[in-house]
Amino acid sequence: MRGSDKKRTLTFCVIVAAALVSAACGGSSSSSTSSKTFGVNATGTVHFWARQATDGPAKALVAGFNATHKNLKVVLHLTPPNDDTSQLATAIRAGSVPDVVGLNDIDVPTFSHEHALMDLTPYINALPYKTALSPGHLKLATLDGKYYGLPYLADLSVLWYNKKLFKEAGLDPNSPPTNYAEIVADSAKISALGHGIYGFSFAGNCQGCLGFTMLPSLWAVGTHLINGPLGTQTANVTSNTPLKTMLAAYHTMWAKHETPVADQTQNGLTWGKDFEAGKVGILPGDYGFAAAFTTPAQKAEFADAPLPGVTGDSYSTFDGGDDFVVPAGAPNASGAWEFIKWALEPQQQVKYPSEGMTPIRTDVLTPSFSTANPYDAVALKALAKGSVEYTLAYDAVFNEPGSPWFKMFEDAVYNGNLPAGISEGQSGIQSTLDSIKG
Amino acid sequence: MRSDVKVAPAERTLRRRDRAAQRVPGPHAASRRNTRTGLLLVSPALAFVAVFALFPLAFGVYISLTNWPLIGPYHFTGLANYTALVHNPVFLESIGFTLKYTAIVTVPIFVLGYALAVFVRSNRPGSTVFRTMIFLPYIIGLVPLSFMAVVELQPQSGTVNFILAKFGIVKATTAWLVHTGLALTAISFLVIWFAAGFTMMLLMAGMQAIPQDIYESARVDGASWWSAEWHLTVPLLRRSIALSLIVSVVYSFLAFNQFFIMTDGGPGTSTESVVMGIFQTAFADMNVGLASAMSVVLVVVVGLITFVQFRFLQGDAD
Repeated sequence: MRGSDKKRTLTFCVIVAAALVSAACGGSSSSSTSSKTFGVNATGTVHFWARQATDGPAKALVAGFNATHKNLKVVLHLTPPNDDTSQLATAIRAGSVPDVVGLNDIDVPTFSHEHALMDLTPYINALPYKTALSPGHLKLATLDGKYYGLPYLADLSVLWYNKKLFKEAGLDPNSPPTNYAEIVADSAKISALGHGIYGFSFAGNCQGCLGFTMLPSLWAVGTHLINGPLGTQTANVTSNTPLKTMLAAYHTMWAKHETPVADQTQNGLTWGKDFEAGKVGILPGDYGFAAAFTTPAQKAEFADAPLPGVTGDSYSTFDGGDDFVVPAGAPNASGAWEFIKWALEPQQQVKYPSEGMTPIRTDVLTPSFSTANPYDAVALKALAKGSVEYTLAYDAVFNEPGSPWFKMFEDAVYNGNLPAGISEGQSGIQSTLDSIKG
Repeated sequence: MRSDVKVAPAERTLRRRDRAAQRVPGPHAASRRNTRTGLLLVSPALAFVAVFALFPLAFGVYISLTNWPLIGPYHFTGLANYTALVHNPVFLESIGFTLKYTAIVTVPIFVLGYALAVFVRSNRPGSTVFRTMIFLPYIIGLVPLSFMAVVELQPQSGTVNFILAKFGIVKATTAWLVHTGLALTAISFLVIWFAAGFTMMLLMAGMQAIPQDIYESARVDGASWWSAEWHLTVPLLRRSIALSLIVSVVYSFLAFNQFFIMTDGGPGTSTESVVMGIFQTAFADMNVGLASAMSVVLVVVVGLITFVQFRFLQGDAD
């Protein structure tokens, strides 16, 4: 090699090395800059997937955001019921993901566990209102101490009761039941009114609805049906006294015909309609039922209370609803974060009740909010004490038609065989957890 | 250069004939050309089938040999999914239930469809209206009909209980869709009502294609209506009968909507059809590998039953 060639080669190597160092430094610098600029003045388009089941807030948020942001547009795509997770999973496998998804919070662990979601930990930690975010929603978005999502909207369970029927039955219309013994007692008195009036009602063929309304009464007294970390989870049924008490209470009311016969076939499609018709005294249900109570007479007649613990002195709610998640590899993650931050501002949050949903920030619960939204104030108050069952097997354990949770319910409530139900529940839930290990 | 080899006159004649034969296309050449033309003409359809049927089927078989989840990585597991199916009581129960359901609805659909086809095959006044009425449920579709059935089968408020209770057959509080036997009965009635119109149309088309002079000859020979129906219509209708039965059995094996909407497979998993089980496994349990293995087993079972049915019904007609 000639001398000039050597010099040229050396020069080339120096340039390449300098370029590499510069790139490395640049990357680092860019990264540090990007964490500061992430979610600020983003441009382009954000593709937002939301569930059809919670389309109200999604449509309102997208319309409001697009009306106030010139350089960043949000395009909404609604995923049909039963297809939301499969559509997202298909998109992830195809490598063509949306920028942000309103994912049913119980499904978040399934996706975060597969590392399919973006780690949002530094951005969530930087939020000044982080401690006010729904703890249950945030728990479902947490894996190994990192946040892979954050609360988007809350769909909470409450205890509805009919003040008019309470009064007619000689009960205090301003004292809703605070434990299951009181529920059973009040139900008997209201049923005694006759004329097609029932003390209690439930969606007896809707597995998800039963979990939504019954589990909080267990959580309120500090017990869960599933214990332990992912991978080594155990079913807590056989030694779960509050669970047995609650199932026995349901059976008592069912066997004494204090509930409509149609409850056994109620699959959730017309859930709450019997209460809305003024025929039911007590209904564990969805806060969203309030959207149907529009007349002054209905508002005077119907009231809600937090779902009481089985043995009282406490309450809880099912932290249902959706989490915001950003799929890994989202093309416009910065734009997605800007949209998320905007959606979580109080001005947007206070509009949720009009769409049948509850805000996910507990600091939104102000006196003016309570005055404007008395029903939702009850739900939002319960949000701080809300919880979930954290597992990858939630659908298989609770929501599927042949789920062990529902088999246990059928045996204990309809067939009146509590020991068989408990035994089947323990073995069924445990074997399901074992088969879907995290 | 000319050949110096001398050739006998007779042989020359033979060679000329051979050359002529080579110039004029014979039956084999024509056949080859026809085959090529035929292949060319059907190639778009073949390509369509290859892309949209054969490739997905082959890919489905491949997935069934992996632990393919709905999301996340996967790896080859050999026949593990098939081994798991053999020991999966829910899958085996769903196959048994689907077979039972198929056995229950197939014969009534055919018998009712045949009877209705006999009734509407002539162009008497009112036949068209009657055909339309019978075929209407099929046009409406099984999904809306299933939702309507859910409403009408409700205890206390449903029309079915209201009418049957008047005759003392059931109580007004009978909950049809949460008891296995009652649910299967209700769904079977719905499906028979829904599918009989389609069978009627298939058989009626076959009946109308039979030349009338055959029946006239039979009448001249003194054949009764029953005799003509049994000895003429049924044998000449064999292909249509085979088609209607095969379609009916395949549809029953692939049943999904009515069970998904009306019972959701319950109580428990007692009314879970095979396809419902596949759906649950793939999209609720997110186990696409196992669901694909279930699908492959279903394809084989349906294929075998269709093959046996086809051979059995082919008979002398071919």
